[in-house]
Amino acid sequence: MGKVIVKLLKVDTIYEGEHLPAIKDINLEIEQGEIISIIGPNGSGKTTLLETINGLLKISRGEVRVFDVDMSRYSMKVRKDIAYVPQDFISEPTVPFLAQDIVLMGRYGKIGLLRSPGKGDLEIAKEAMRLVGVDEFAHRPIGKLSGGEQQKVMIARAIAQEPKLLLLDEPFSHLDVDSKTEISEKICKLHEEKGWTTVVVTHDLSSIPRRCDRVLVMNRGRIVAEEDPESVIGRKESLTVFFKETKQ
Amino acid sequence: MISLPLQIVLTAITASILAGVTCSLIGVFVVQMKLSSIGYCMSHAAFAGAALGLLLALDPLLSALALSTLVALILGPISEKAKLSPGVITGIMFSLTIGLGFIFLNFAPGVAATQQALSILWGSIFSVTFDDLILLGLLTFFIVLLLILFFKEFQALMFSRKLAEASGINTSLFYFLILFLAGVTVAFTLKLVGGLLVFALIVNPASAALQFIYDLKKVFVVSPIIGALTCLLGFLLSLLLDFPIGSSIVIVSSFTFGVSVMLSPKRRRG
Repeated sequence: MGKVIVKLLKVDTIYEGEHLPAIKDINLEIEQGEIISIIGPNGSGKTTLLETINGLLKISRGEVRVFDVDMSRYSMKVRKDIAYVPQDFISEPTVPFLAQDIVLMGRYGKIGLLRSPGKGDLEIAKEAMRLVGVDEFAHRPIGKLSGGEQQKVMIARAIAQEPKLLLLDEPFSHLDVDSKTEISEKICKLHEEKGWTTVVVTHDLSSIPRRCDRVLVMNRGRIVAEEDPESVIGRKESLTVFFKETKQ
Repeated sequence: MISLPLQIVLTAITASILAGVTCSLIGVFVVQMKLSSIGYCMSHAAFAGAALGLLLALDPLLSALALSTLVALILGPISEKAKLSPGVITGIMFSLTIGLGFIFLNFAPGVAATQQALSILWGSIFSVTFDDLILLGLLTFFIVLLLILFFKEFQALMFSRKLAEASGINTSLFYFLILFLAGVTVAFTLKLVGGLLVFALIVNPASAALQFIYDLKKVFVVSPIIGALTCLLGFLLSLLLDFPIGSSIVIVSSFTFGVSVMLSPKRRRG
């Protein structure tokens, strides 16, 4: 059994101004080196769970520990080791940021205050861009790229961060089938080579990585089931159809 | 055309350039981070603060600085926590600060105070002293220094506060630093263009630069150049046509922005 690096104990997260928790009574342990997929319909709490893990959202009950650090108090200390690709992050066409700037930003947490990115950081960013096939867009404005290209830039940014924990929220939603398979394979390969721990959130069964250790199912803010990865990976039908079939 | 002693003209030109540079540097943050409503409120708070200074026989610059900084430090967290729309913040705070400003002016004693009050409202570049120049120069230097030291943090924050925070940057610290600098800049340039118009000097040059440039570093270079040039042209226009200096600067900077929107490659299709 590997070392537990993410631990959630009876966690509720309530958004400001709301009364009902977006996620409720979550108990979850993730071991180092695991790839976990979290599936569930829209509004089931998948994104809230990811943003609770990396400390962007404050919990209203329970305890979240990542790398044995209490995330409700010291999340800033460990965030440089947690890469996060948010859902549907599309920039406005006129924003003054080049694709390479965005990828390099992945390094900023590691570089620390009062230091500028060095040649080594730039090389890491360029390598990450080459890996996901966006190196040719390095000097193009991020907002001028297509949704799929922007999504690849965000994945390159996460790779450039050289994280210990990778959190991907619907990372392939704007990619075509071929790109989705290619990038997913590359992430799996990096995951194995670098010893990452990876959590992929998706409502699309075909986006579940090939080498997935566990598939958790969320509904109405709770983890309601754990599916056998073999029964889920490679399925092309929608979540609704999948659940109807598996219930029968 | 008005003829003036060389020393006054040189002081005024230097003040114009420094104010143009400082305001348009801060403007890049204000425009890109969509802080216009908060900045707008701070500029009017500075006006109210200066009026309060006149009433209490304090240095108007210090009281303007105090009130605009106070508003920046209060308004930032309030707008974040209460999730108020920019329109609501502007609507309420604009009328409140202007109302307070006029009440303070109403009670400020003497004709001299009224004159000084008008200079706060509309700006009076010829009242800028050598000490003001030194302060403005120090502020410009301080802002450039902070930009150089913390460029990567500011850049990440301006792209996405959420992502910057997720990657381990203390975004609240830098966000409030930006608000504080905006407040200080407004207070320091109040004498030049006045409380009612200073915000145009912050927003227009940065908005004009952003019409053409996709690289943030270049925006931070071009915006102050546009700011300094529009201030100089505005100053010359006011000398030629005997217009109020603040109004002339705002007219030139608004014209520059209008032309840049028309010529902007970002707005062309394809």
